[in-house]
Amino acid sequence: MNQRTIIVKKDIQADQKADAAVLREQLGRRGTLVVNLLSSPGAGKTTLLEATAQEFAGRRSMAVLVGDLETDRDAQRLAPLVPVAQLTTGGACHLELPLVQRGLQALGDPAVDFLFIENIGNLVCPASHDLAEHLRVVLISTTEGDDKPGKYPKMFRTSQVMVITKLDLLPHVPFSVDAVTEDARRIHPELDVFTNCALKGEGVSDWCDYLEQQHQQLLARYHATAGNH
Amino acid sequence: MHERSLVQRLLHQVQQIVAEDGGGRVTEIRVQVGDLSGVEPLLFQAAFEEMVSDLFSSECQLALDIVPVMAVCDDCGQQFEIVDFQFQCPACPTGAVQVIQGDEVKLISINVSSDNPVEGVAS
Repeated sequence: MNQRTIIVKKDIQADQKADAAVLREQLGRRGTLVVNLLSSPGAGKTTLLEATAQEFAGRRSMAVLVGDLETDRDAQRLAPLVPVAQLTTGGACHLELPLVQRGLQALGDPAVDFLFIENIGNLVCPASHDLAEHLRVVLISTTEGDDKPGKYPKMFRTSQVMVITKLDLLPHVPFSVDAVTEDARRIHPELDVFTNCALKGEGVSDWCDYLEQQHQQLLARYHATAGNH
Repeated sequence: MHERSLVQRLLHQVQQIVAEDGGGRVTEIRVQVGDLSGVEPLLFQAAFEEMVSDLFSSECQLALDIVPVMAVCDDCGQQFEIVDFQFQCPACPTGAVQVIQGDEVKLISINVSSDNPVEGVAS
């Protein structure tokens, strides 16, 4: 019997990562900051996006790709405020790049300042999928418990920002902002942390200021690159 | 449960690589799973056993190597293993660190038996 071994040594997601890098570059050059929002179900991704859309109204343009297993309920909530496309996974636990590309086409490839991707509510699988984002943001609500980062290290390691939501419930729940921040920074020391209560509009302007700074840095980065040619 | 979609991707890649290499019966697929890859080895193994016969013989084995997370310190350049997801350099705890190993799922190698090149490799 003739046996042989083929040596490969390749990340099985290498092609997807390369495709994501190309799209990230394209959208960055166009001046669109792509923000991937992740959290467990019910942490407040849609509510934060509603508040963000209201804060940016008339000043900054944005569009949203909304991922859900079933239904377009979140997309319906956002549709009166901003251009939105629903990405329905039919039960899959995370979004992948082809769905994002399809969503962009459905929106007519808009030249917006911010493209938000509202991922499937899940702190595990979405952490392993690059969706061409420039900024990965993980939300954690005060009702979830402050021990989450250590339980889902990959999510908190791969995110650049943690947003603590539903701050108005803090008096009623055993949750410590300091403890969750300490736990998350043990995994990711450079993590930027925001707190808010988007339902009441508290803390939203700080979040939006941060997004605008990130957008400015993106523009500067690509302007500088263009200037070098 | 994204292990299933990763296994599906893996099997298709193996099929393509073996076909380009002259074909044959795939007997073993060696995969490296990092501790920070987000993949649960038991689920990956179970998904593999369930799906392998879609493309190859059910005799085809999965060899799964778990690799620890390794990082390098931005400040002092020391390389060290990340234990309990503490991403801090043991020498200078305030410095940022970069992960250099353990966040990927890698196809390492494929064992192929070519006594009967047609069997086991769907075209």
